[in-house]
Amino acid sequence: MGFDNDSEQDLVVYGTPIEREEDTSARKRRAVAEAGQLRALPAWKQEVRDEEGRRRFHGAFTGGFSAGYYNTVGTKEGWTPQTFTSSRKNRTEVKKQSIYSFLDEEDIKGMGGNALETTQQYDTFGSTATEYARKQASKEQKERPSAIPGPIPDELVVPATTSIGMKLLMKMGWHQGRSIRDAHADSLYESRREARKAFLALSGVNNDYEKLQIGSHKSGKDESVKGSFEEIHASGNTAVYVLHPKQDLHGLGFDPFKHAPEFKDRKRLQKSARDHNKSDVSMRGSLLISNSGQYAPGFGIGALEELGVEDEDIYASGFAYEHMEVDVEPSKTASDGNYKLEDRKRGVFLSFKIASGSEYKLERFDPPEIPTDFDGRHKFQTPVQAVNNISDLAPPEVPPPEDISLRLLIEGCATMVARCGKHIEDFYKEKSKTNPQFIFLNEGDGCSYYARKLWEYQQKYIDQQRPDATKSKSSSDKLTAEDRGKILGEKPLDRSTKSSSSSFPANEAIQLRSNLGDTFVKPLSLDGTPEYQKPFRNDPAKQARFEQFLKDKYEGGLRPANLIPASKMSDADRARERLDFEAAAETIEKGKEKKSMDPLSVLGLTGINEQRFVSSTESERSVPPRDENSMYPRRDEFEWRPSPILCKRFDIVDPFMGKPMPVQRPRSKMDTLIFMSDSTKKTNDIVESSSIEPQHTAVAGTTEAKAKGTATVPDIETSNMQRPVDLYKAIFSDDSDDDMDEPVITELVDPVKTSEGANMVLNRLVAEDFLESLGKELGLDVPPEKPTLPNVLFRSETLPIANAAVMSRNGKATTCQEVEKESSLDKAEVANASADAPSGNDEKLDLKYEKHELRTKKSRSHSSHHQIQSGSPASDSTTDQHRSRKRRSHHQICSGTPDSDSSIEHHRSKKRKSHSRHRTRRSRSPYADSSSDSQHNKRKRCEKRHHRTRTPDTDSSDHEHKERYKSSSRRSSDKDRTRRRSRHHKH
Amino acid sequence: MSSAAQKLPRSEARTLSGHEGAVLAVRFNRDGNYCLSCGKDRTLRLWNPHTGALVKTYKSHGREVRDVYSSSDNAKLVSCGGDRQIFYWDVASGRVIRKFRGHNSEINAVKFNEFNTVVVSAGYDQTVRAFDCRSQSSDPIQTIDTFQDSVMSVNITSTEIIAGSVDGTVRTFDIRMGRETVDNLGHPVNCISLSNDRNCLLANCLDSTVRLIDKSTGELLQEYKGHICKSFKMDCCLTNDDAFVVGGSEDGFVFFWELVDAPVVASFRAHSSVVTSVSYHPTKASMLTSSVDGTVRVWT
Repeated sequence: MGFDNDSEQDLVVYGTPIEREEDTSARKRRAVAEAGQLRALPAWKQEVRDEEGRRRFHGAFTGGFSAGYYNTVGTKEGWTPQTFTSSRKNRTEVKKQSIYSFLDEEDIKGMGGNALETTQQYDTFGSTATEYARKQASKEQKERPSAIPGPIPDELVVPATTSIGMKLLMKMGWHQGRSIRDAHADSLYESRREARKAFLALSGVNNDYEKLQIGSHKSGKDESVKGSFEEIHASGNTAVYVLHPKQDLHGLGFDPFKHAPEFKDRKRLQKSARDHNKSDVSMRGSLLISNSGQYAPGFGIGALEELGVEDEDIYASGFAYEHMEVDVEPSKTASDGNYKLEDRKRGVFLSFKIASGSEYKLERFDPPEIPTDFDGRHKFQTPVQAVNNISDLAPPEVPPPEDISLRLLIEGCATMVARCGKHIEDFYKEKSKTNPQFIFLNEGDGCSYYARKLWEYQQKYIDQQRPDATKSKSSSDKLTAEDRGKILGEKPLDRSTKSSSSSFPANEAIQLRSNLGDTFVKPLSLDGTPEYQKPFRNDPAKQARFEQFLKDKYEGGLRPANLIPASKMSDADRARERLDFEAAAETIEKGKEKKSMDPLSVLGLTGINEQRFVSSTESERSVPPRDENSMYPRRDEFEWRPSPILCKRFDIVDPFMGKPMPVQRPRSKMDTLIFMSDSTKKTNDIVESSSIEPQHTAVAGTTEAKAKGTATVPDIETSNMQRPVDLYKAIFSDDSDDDMDEPVITELVDPVKTSEGANMVLNRLVAEDFLESLGKELGLDVPPEKPTLPNVLFRSETLPIANAAVMSRNGKATTCQEVEKESSLDKAEVANASADAPSGNDEKLDLKYEKHELRTKKSRSHSSHHQIQSGSPASDSTTDQHRSRKRRSHHQICSGTPDSDSSIEHHRSKKRKSHSRHRTRRSRSPYADSSSDSQHNKRKRCEKRHHRTRTPDTDSSDHEHKERYKSSSRRSSDKDRTRRRSRHHKH
Repeated sequence: MSSAAQKLPRSEARTLSGHEGAVLAVRFNRDGNYCLSCGKDRTLRLWNPHTGALVKTYKSHGREVRDVYSSSDNAKLVSCGGDRQIFYWDVASGRVIRKFRGHNSEINAVKFNEFNTVVVSAGYDQTVRAFDCRSQSSDPIQTIDTFQDSVMSVNITSTEIIAGSVDGTVRTFDIRMGRETVDNLGHPVNCISLSNDRNCLLANCLDSTVRLIDKSTGELLQEYKGHICKSFKMDCCLTNDDAFVVGGSEDGFVFFWELVDAPVVASFRAHSSVVTSVSYHPTKASMLTSSVDGTVRVWT
């Protein structure tokens, strides 16, 4: 540019400057920028650049630009000089460096160094020797003057060295002229082949062609084996002969038999057979290929077995693909195709052609016409029919012989013969030889009668058979009893005649039977059978079968198996029927003993009866249901209490919400929640006060009360406290009035108590518990006056601490032999007694707020408290027993109606009684209260208080709840007792 | 035969086989797309009865499973059986979410309430117990023990628990009213089912009679006879249009009775052995039957 830098500002520049400097500086900048990146790269990737950022170009022959690794040798180490260190412990290995350690293989080769190569030098066997001999020979040849001038190609003169394969084979022990395959296996194979061939020849399955083929195959194979080795031996390093020159017009590499090698082999075989005469080469080719695709189609070759040479199937050419051939060479000429066709048909006889029009025609014949009445089943000439055919002519009618037994015998015999065939007659004849009774079979007076009867029965039987045969399967069901009887050979039942067996003299019948040799039995007469013995009246056919069954069952004898054409029934039906029969027979047996019994009920109970059978019973069974219908269905209604949670889950408002719960403890939580704070406060108060009480018992009542009042108790507390007074009033309204001097007595009581701490614990535990149950009680039937607090505090049920607390006193108090629980109750009692004292204090306080009448009653109750002290410690055994008895009764009551308060309380106010009545568990209207308005008000108040007394603890179970009930009632009764006792004492 | 009667499912569409041993109950789910079966092989099986595919098998019960019921949202199952436990299943995972204990003996029947929050079960220990599905507790929230004998079947409406017992009573516990209504039928009650209008009660009694009772008055409206039911717990139900009564028989037959006049309009052999359970599709004319022979059959 030529501009000076100084004058640059003053000059106006035209045109675009050629920024060579800028260019280089830009490159520089880039280089600087890349320098940072470059440093980030791994060392071997970093490239050396000059200050301009250009790659240094050097060594055009070694690749141009510089390599990585700071342009070193390309390894990390490079030729870094190393300091030699060697110590005693760490000896340096003496590295023998040679030039080769710095050269790669290529370099070494280039230098003519010794690289590893295969060599023939150390072949100690023949080849080396031959080679050596050859070299020697050539040397000699060169030296000596040749007859033929010019160089003679080595191949023609010198035997080529054998190929490596051959050499290997030779090393393995093979020598030339031997077959490659294992001699033993080969022989085995051959022998098998021979055997198969022999087998084929024997069986004559194969045609000549196949034999020929096999033969040629085999011989060819042998030949080929030999030939191939000869060839190998001879050919040396000549090119391998291409066995399969490409002759088809398929594309290169296309294999039409790719997925069907069997066809390929087949085809090759055929081709070879065809070309057998023409070319040796093709033959050999075909034969050299093992027909590996052809294996016996399952001739002892398992799916998992490996196929071996032995498994080649010689039959395959025979059967397998003979007729499955596909024309695989569609590109062949028509003539070729023709030949092929011929080949396929005529084998190797190529000179024959297929006739264009064959005169031979397959003649077809229609199947013979089947006669319309042909039913495909063979009908045997039954003996009966045979007999029938013979005796078509009816014998003359003959009057029956006089002897009834003989007549019966003849008739029976005739029936049997007619039904069972001639052979029975023969059988009888056999018998009759020894038995004069059967003389009629051959000759005698009954003979003609027998012949006539026989004919009659046969006619009858045949007549029956025919309709039976045409009838449907269910026809057997439609048979009437008469039909059945006829079939069975029964006489038509006639009550008037004496022909029935029932009118038969028993001994005669027996004799007859024995005479007959138990060969047949008279059909069971149904004359005498009472109605209840015919369980299948509705189904006469079945009834008949049933009778037959009975006969079979109860009377022995030989009879043909198929007397009844019940064979039309299925086996299952028959089995079921048989079960029914069994059951029926059983009931009849029973019925004989106990006629009143309905056999059908038993039948019904067998369970798996047929439908019709059941239906038959239904007519009879329909009677009792009528009666039942009059009484059923009955509807009763009861109260039922769903659990609140259930109601909640069903999304239904609890019908008993807010109502007292006799059994189920958890009511709706609402009220407890509402009064939660109050109640907790109250309990706290109670605990506090109760804990304070013992302390202050020694002090005068008024001061005590005041102290308490100042401590925690506001108006609510006082109102709470006044309730007990109400209760006392209710209980002891009839008691004599006494003025209040109870604090003194409580003084007496309380010192006996143990320490303050123990009391506190006791109270806290008990108060909570008790308040709960009390609330229950109150919620139930809220009596206007009821003792709450005193009871609350000292309902020491079974608490160990409570026990401990009062133990000392207890020791004195319980002199009796009560059980442990009762003793604990005693303790409770004692506790109550002590509790009463504070309540008394409260009452004192209350006095200020209460009405006057209340006060009087209160004072009365106080007086009773006084008496406790003297009375309770000295409780004698009799009273204890009495108590225990009462307690027991309590228990009982509690379990049933937990709140119907003890009999002790019964003598109390009527009001209370009514309440307790309402407390029954099943009470329909728990609130149906007959009390007066004033009572109602009071109750309300009590209720309120009760709410307050409820504790947040609502999770305890019903059981606990009940327990509480029990204990509370117990406690009250105890208290009552103590009170009374004390009263006594005072008086 | 009326056209309605002709539409009754009488041709077998397919057989769901897979249970080894008797199938004791089969139930359509709420929408009728799937069904559940349970049996002596201690498994529950969930099927698609319309394709015959077995969807899932639930195994955990230690003894035979006597009844199964699916929640209306198809998410949960409840099953009970001879192992005295009620299993509360997750349908998808096949895991038991909870086991409810409390019955002292075999449990015969189990049902969900309308909101799937309560499981009510009836057992051989003469009780009906209600369990809360929402709490972790396995103890019942309510036990009804007024029955005199084994309780065979239980049904739940939106406000009532209805249970039938071998003591011959059908007891209706009305939660809203806090009342227990006892209908004494005089014969052991095998199974109770409700009409779709919830006004009638169908009770399968062991005297081979199905009785239809007016729920509000306790009046016996009709008796259906012809089948055999003497010793097995067998279901009965009404068709979804309340026109027919369906019941199985101990000889493998299925009976259809006309509701009002009680003639047998159809009966056919459905199984080779006792038909333990029938379940009618909630909307379509399709029915499932299960049998002691180990199969469940779908009828259309």
